[in-house]
Formats: sequence, C-alpha cells, structure tokens
Amino acid sequence: MARLIRTEKEVEGRFEEVWLVVEEDPLTQWPAGPLTVVGHDARRQDAPERVRGEARFTADIQLPGMLHTAVLRSPYAHARVRSIDFTKALALPGVRGALGPGEAKGLEEEAGFAGAPVAAVAADTFGQAQAALAAAEVDWEELEAVLDPEDAVARELFTAPSARYERGDFDRALAEADVVVEGTYRTSVVLHNSMETHQAICEWVGDTLNVYISTQYIWGVRDAVSKELGIPGDKVRVVCEYMGGGFGSKNGPDEYTFVAAELAKRTGRPVRCALTRREENTAAGNRNATLQKLTVGAKNDGTIVALGGEFINAVGWSGWSAMTEGPTQMLYACENVRTVRHGAKINTPPMKAFRAPGFVEGTFSLECLIDELAAKLELDPLELRRRNYADSNDDKPFSSKNLMQCYELAQKHWDRRDEVRARSTDTWKHGVGMASQIWFGGGGPPSYAWIRATSDGRFTVVTAMQDIGTGTRTAMALIAAEELGVSLDRVEVVLGDSARGPYATLSAGSSTTPSVGPAVRAAAADAKRQILEIAAQRYDTEERVLDIKNGIVVSDDGNVSTPLEDLLGILEDAQILGKGGRGPNPTGMSVLTFGVQVVEVAVDVETGEIRVERVAAAHDVGRIINALGARSQVEGGIIQGIGHTLSEQRLLDPETGRVLTTTLDAYRMPTIADVPEIVCEFVDEPDAHLTNLGSKGLGEPPIVPLAAAVANAIRDATGADVHELPISREEMLRALDAAKKKEKRGAPAAV
Amino acid sequence: MELLQPSSLAEIDGGLAIHGGTEVVPLLRDGILEADRLVDIRGVVPRGVDGNTIGAGTTLAELEAGTTIPAALREACTLAASPQLRNMSSLGGNLLQSTRCWYWRLDYPCRLHGGDRCHAREGEHREHAIFANDYCASAHPSDIAAALLALGARVRTTKRELPLEELYRLPDEANRAVVTLEPGELILELELPQVEASTYLKAMDRKRWSFPQVGVAAARVGGEVRIALAGVAPIPWLLGPDGLDAATPLPRTAWKVQVARALVARATSQLA
Repeated sequence: MARLIRTEKEVEGRFEEVWLVVEEDPLTQWPAGPLTVVGHDARRQDAPERVRGEARFTADIQLPGMLHTAVLRSPYAHARVRSIDFTKALALPGVRGALGPGEAKGLEEEAGFAGAPVAAVAADTFGQAQAALAAAEVDWEELEAVLDPEDAVARELFTAPSARYERGDFDRALAEADVVVEGTYRTSVVLHNSMETHQAICEWVGDTLNVYISTQYIWGVRDAVSKELGIPGDKVRVVCEYMGGGFGSKNGPDEYTFVAAELAKRTGRPVRCALTRREENTAAGNRNATLQKLTVGAKNDGTIVALGGEFINAVGWSGWSAMTEGPTQMLYACENVRTVRHGAKINTPPMKAFRAPGFVEGTFSLECLIDELAAKLELDPLELRRRNYADSNDDKPFSSKNLMQCYELAQKHWDRRDEVRARSTDTWKHGVGMASQIWFGGGGPPSYAWIRATSDGRFTVVTAMQDIGTGTRTAMALIAAEELGVSLDRVEVVLGDSARGPYATLSAGSSTTPSVGPAVRAAAADAKRQILEIAAQRYDTEERVLDIKNGIVVSDDGNVSTPLEDLLGILEDAQILGKGGRGPNPTGMSVLTFGVQVVEVAVDVETGEIRVERVAAAHDVGRIINALGARSQVEGGIIQGIGHTLSEQRLLDPETGRVLTTTLDAYRMPTIADVPEIVCEFVDEPDAHLTNLGSKGLGEPPIVPLAAAVANAIRDATGADVHELPISREEMLRALDAAKKKEKRGAPAAV
Repeated sequence: MELLQPSSLAEIDGGLAIHGGTEVVPLLRDGILEADRLVDIRGVVPRGVDGNTIGAGTTLAELEAGTTIPAALREACTLAASPQLRNMSSLGGNLLQSTRCWYWRLDYPCRLHGGDRCHAREGEHREHAIFANDYCASAHPSDIAAALLALGARVRTTKRELPLEELYRLPDEANRAVVTLEPGELILELELPQVEASTYLKAMDRKRWSFPQVGVAAARVGGEVRIALAGVAPIPWLLGPDGLDAATPLPRTAWKVQVARALVARATSQLA
C-alpha cells in the first residue's frame, strides 16, 4: 500500500523536507555475501553492442531532415546584448531559423560569463549554422566583471546565503588543545569532459515533443521541458538509451534542449543542438575551485578536540554551493566543530555537480590536515584516524558504518610502507599515504519498476531510469534474476525512454542502485508471487512450499520440479505483470558511504615529477550487486581522481575571463599510461536498515579520498606539504623548496 | 576549398602545403589558417631514411622505429604526441608546427598574430618561455626540432641548404614569423652528421600525449657536446655557454628553469 510521509530528501549532499508517497517495503533482505548471481562478477549485458559500435548514443542519432544548431556565446565575462540583427545571417544558404535572447530558456540578454549562450541559429549543416552566427550583428554592452572569488566574498556577492555551522564550543576547545595545526588549501576548476558532449535532438510529432538527449535524468528532462513549454508531461517523450558520460553535469535539460525544441517548432524539422568540444570545456559546467582554511586542535594522545574551517566555493555565474565543509563536520568524532561556507558569485562559467561535489574538495583539505597533525604528534596516520572514529553523525546514528573494517582491509597495504620507502634513491623518493572517505549514496524514494513474464519463461524489467555508463542496466537485471531464481540471460532491462516505463530517479548522487534496485527487487518478488500462485494451482499444492531455483519451479518435498518455461507456457498470450516501488529510507538515521584508499607514489625531487604507482581501495557501500561492475566503478573513480590530482586544470585568462584550456591537449586528463596498479576490496555487508537490498551507491565514493591520499603519500616520500590541486610540477617544486627551508631552520621534517 | 595532389614539385603553384594534416587541419578548422587551395605534398616530398639523409615526408612513427636513427631523434619521436598522431605526422611538418600558446591558438590579437602585445606575459603563462620571451613568450613545442638541433642537422629545401638553427628566427616588430622559409619553399630533406652519442629527455604532465614542458636533447658530435631545448623559447633553443643561467623566466615559469637544469645535467651525464 502506498503511504504518505514527511521526510528529508538528500541529493548530492543537499537536503530538503518533502511530502513523499512511498511504497511499503515488506521484503526481508537477502543474507549477506554473494548469492546466486548478485555479488558475483557479471559482464555488462550490453557489452557486445557497445564493442560492436551498435549501441545508439544521442550523438549517433540522425533524423530525416534534421537541422543543426550553432550557439552564439558571449566573448565577455559580463555583458548585455543590446540588440542582435540576424538579417544577413538568415539570408545565408541553408539557414532556417534564429533565436535571440529570451526566445528559448537559457538564451539570456545578460551574459554572466565568457561563453554564456545568448542566441542560436539552425541550418542544414553545422558549418552553415556557424557561418550564420559569424554574420549575426550583435551590439554588446560590456559590464563590470568580478573574477576573483575572494573579491566576491569581500563584496558579499554570493550565490546563496553563507552556511554557518557550530557544535560545542570551538574557540574554547581550540584554546585548550595541546597541539594546533592550520592549513590553507586550494583546489582548481576541473571539467567533466564527458566523451559525449552535451546535446539534444528535438522533434515534434503532432503535439508530442520527442527529446533525444544525453542525460542523467530522463524523467527530470521530461518534467522541466513540459513545464517550460507549458505542455502536459505525457506529451514530452525523453529518450536516452546509451549515454557517453555525465559525471553530474547532465542532470537537467539546459539551453541546448530548449533551443532545439523551439527551433524544431519554428522550422517544423527535427533539430540537433550539440556542444562542440570547445564549448564543452567552456560552458558545460565544472567542479568549482575552492579556497579552504582549516584548523584542527588535538590532545597529545591524538584526540581531536576542535575542528574548524572557512570554505569559499568559487561557484561562478550559476550553480550551487556544494557542502565542502561536509567531511570536516562528519568524518571524525569531534565535539567542537565550527564551519562557514561561502558561495562566491563570479563571472566565470557555471558550477555543476561533479562526482561527489564539495566532498572531493573538502576531503582533500581535511585529510591532508589530519596527516599534518599526525606528523606533528608523531603518530601513525591510520592510528590517529582510528582514535577519532565517529560512532554517529552529529548525534544521528548511522544506518550502517563499516569504516573500521575498511581500515582492517587497508592495513596490509598500509604495512607496505617500509618496503616502499626503501625503494627511494637520491632523486626518486617513494612513500605511502592514505585518506578516508565519507559521502552520501543512500538514494531514496520514489522509483518504480515493472516486470513482465512471458510464456517463454523470459522476463522484461521496464523502468524509466537511464544507464549513464556505469552498468546499472546489468545491476538491475542481476537483482531481478536473483529474486526470480533465474539465470541472468533470461532477464532483459528496458530503460532510457520516459514513455515506456514508470518513474525512476536520476543517475546522480550515487543513488541509482540504492533507489531503483529495491523497486526492481519488489517488482520481481511480485511477479514471482504470481507465478507461484499459478504453479500452486497447476500442481495442486500450496504456494509456501514452492520456489523457483535456477529457472525450475520446485517444491520443498521434491514432488514439483518443472522448468519455468513449461509452467509459463500455459500462459500463451496471458502475461504476468509484477510491479514494485522503492520503500522509504530509515527514519532518523544517517545513510552514508565510507572507505579508505592507500596510495603509493614516487616523486622525482629534482624535476617535480609525480608517479602514482599503486592505489588500494577499500569501500563500504553495503551489499555489492555486481562485483565486476563495482571494481570498474572504483577504477574509474581513481583514474578520474588522478586527473584532478595531477594534471587537470581549467585555466582562465585573468584579464578577459575566457577559458584558455578548451581542447584536450591543453586540458589534460590521464591517459591509460598514467593508470597505476589498482586493488579494490569491499566490505560487502548489507545495510540492515536500508531497503530490501541493503545496497548503497558506489558512483562517487572512489573519487573522494584519492587526492588527499596522493598528497599524504608525497609527504611520506619527501616531507613536503602540498596544499594545492592539481599538484603540478610547479606546486611540487614549491612544496619541496618550502620543506627544505623548514629543515634548514631546524624544524624536523614530517615523518 | 580545392585540394590538389601534385606528383612533382614543378606542378605546385601556390596554395597551402599539407602533409599529415595533424597541425594544418585543426588550424584551418579554428580559422587560424585560411586557404582556398590545399596542396597535398605527400607525393612530392621525399620519404624514408637513406644513410644520414632523412626525407622530410618520413612519419614520426617511421623514425621512432628506424634502426639507424640517432637515439635523441628516436626518443624525441617516441615521446611526442600519440601513436595515431605519429602515424600521420611528417618530420617536415613537425619542424614547422606552431606554438601551443593558448592565446595564439585562441586567436588573441597577440604579437605573433601581428598584434601589439603579448597576452601571456601579463596573463596565464605557466607553460611559456624562459628564454627570449621579452617580445613574445610563446614556447616552441617540437621535441624533434630540439633533437635535430642538438644533433647538428642541416636542412635541404626546394631553394637552399642551411643549418637547422637558420630555419628558425625570433619574431620581432618587423617580422612576426618564427621560420625563415620563403612563400612556397618546402623542406625536402634533413642531413645528419656522424653522431657519437645522444639522448632526449622530456618533462610532461602526464606520461603520454603531452607537449614538452621542457625537452632536453644532448648530443656529442665530433667530440663537441651540443644541448638544445624544446618548450623554453619561441623557437627551438640551442643552449649557449652560460647555460640556464642565461634564462629570463616569467613569474610563473621559474619552475621550468629548475626542471631544465635537472634534465640538462642528466642528459649530459648520459653522454659520458
């Protein structure tokens, strides 16, 4: 039965109180550990299509008569369009339509950053559209631009009110501490750079708008487009069958969708609006830069008594101010915590969620600070973390927390320190570092799934979720197969089409598996119940003695043993339809994910070259659904983390505010040669309080601790404190130089 | 735009020369280069290695696999670009590639584009020049040019023969070009002396597919050691008698001097 509750909803660390209709979740959890198919390695069901190039991404879609769009973007960091004259542009060959500011959502008169979209032209080819843009006559009024986040804070230019938090008495605790360590940390803007750029194709069929879009949230696009265009939600069909990456940057429709929809309406033709790689690097969102000043006070035995921080998120023209102070508040048991976070509104490209927004940046600072404290106290960094283990989140109990088990799993990697350090030469210094991870990832209601059983003994899961490339399609099939008692190849998952299935949540916030997975299991259980009802009647026995095992309907007493397809064969065209919904999250509990990573690095102290040689990761995300998929997530997170830790950095021209690193030779993501040995382990213990699965999400956790673990390994290897991401050669050489000077002054180098 | 594919040098009459296209095509696409006529010179420029003579049409992939190629050149090729790019790009084209200065690539009206200021000097210049950066702070990105400069290569063009250092010139107010080729002049061959020992070392910010932050080539030829650097000046840079003490780094390029010192010391010791 559906139930109305008042509950706290969390997405990417943002909370709101909402009314929510939830389904009851009466199923008991499966026993811990690997089951028949769940918890084992499963190859992606769509791997052959992907490898053969048959998987159809949005970028592959070509519709008859489709037009192409070029978007006019502001060359100024802050400006207003006084007027645009398209007369010459519209006269050029192939040009079919043009939109000015205000004619589609997202095209605005006031451009708040260099690259902000203000107008668009559709033509038969992209080249013609670009030529038309060049012929558009724009009268710009340049406005004052603020590019420096500290300047914005001083002038109180914020994207939202500053967030202040205090528990206990920070000042007093700090005054009474035996040791105090302070640090200032900076992180740079980094870009998602999904393989598939942001894009949409819009096509009107009668009064229905078909939107093919590269998105993390087909249902969210449906709702936003319906609202903006003033048409019913069921007149918007959103399709994203395969997706070339999002990482948080594709949670909504954005201007390219509205531009395509409007131009499609005006021209009567399907219209594609796709960002180029340069636009992707300029205007598609980013992980904002941060400036963080942290303070920790501790007793000589390592007990942390005070933790504080001032955090500036350089949000940009739009976006939101993520919870950069989260780790400082939540990771350690500390009675006295004070944080303040400002979101600076500046004339730079917009922030968008990027894989654990805020926590990646806030973990870098906190976990570096904790290691600097360990060095000062001459304590083992892992032991220091154990001594400050948090048993609750600000008085709220954890639904489950197995960070201590993660530390146990990490111990053998941590114990390699002497062996690793012993590899050091005069120039190459080797060391080991670690950092802990805390993040959300519990998901929540609502999400729904349907299952159709047909007379050939096969099952189709239908849900309007999307697989953004993480392999959730296969994870859902595994859950259904486990519950139904059939092999994986009997289950097909249909997703990525808002017109085809019931609502499912967005693929963000590490929430897809914990949100949609329980709904799929509930739907499978519903279908199974109906199958066993039929079996009980067919074999004249009671339902409770029947089960489906490995595709065979069996009874406890052994009297029934019939292949499922034989039983279901009697259905002919009759179908069994199971439905399931996601139950509520546990009330009054903090649902979080945990982990630890141990990193081995080598540093060339003469040239500042840093090599990440080995990463061992142990994460606690509840039950593991697909062990192979889970390892793949961890590997991907670590590799992406190596990027923002060592080589990725978006640079702006300080004078004009324009992005300088617009291509992939200038914006440098790791290559496969930069990937170290990666070892993944999981606690794999279901969260007893969380849904019928006990699973949390794993999309984001692996990227959270990497940068701090690398920085701490660098300190272990060289004694240098790096305080800035990326740790470029310039930053590495600066830190080595500072360490040398510190040593000369007589202070002991870090141990 | 027309594409001509001549089979002899005599057939060429103007147009923009293109070989592998790994540089010319992106620059055309970005509007930095403009042309009505492209001339595919793959049929007319010599390709392959013959003793000490290397055809300018030889690809970097062929050079890195060449058994008779001096180590510095081979290593410079191996560390350049990516396998896909090395399969396409020619030796001659590599020597003529433009700077990676983002201001230049984004068509800022900088001095190299004929404008009146260097945007990098006051702007974002952490990857820029540490030598000869007063007028233009761009850094020349060719690993191969640095290697050939250290090796003492000579160039044969359609018009003349010259030492490689004379192929390059620093831009100035009167002439913004960084090469001395005349319009229509093509590089045909490179000629190497007998090399006793050589090496190429390169600092990158990832392990593959990175232009040099600093590239250092060292070669001993006829008992004399020559050291040349990539990524440190608007043109490939032959290190003078004062070595890196002569460097004039910008505020954010001082770190490059430190990296260069270490690599020069290592490269020199490898020749011993």
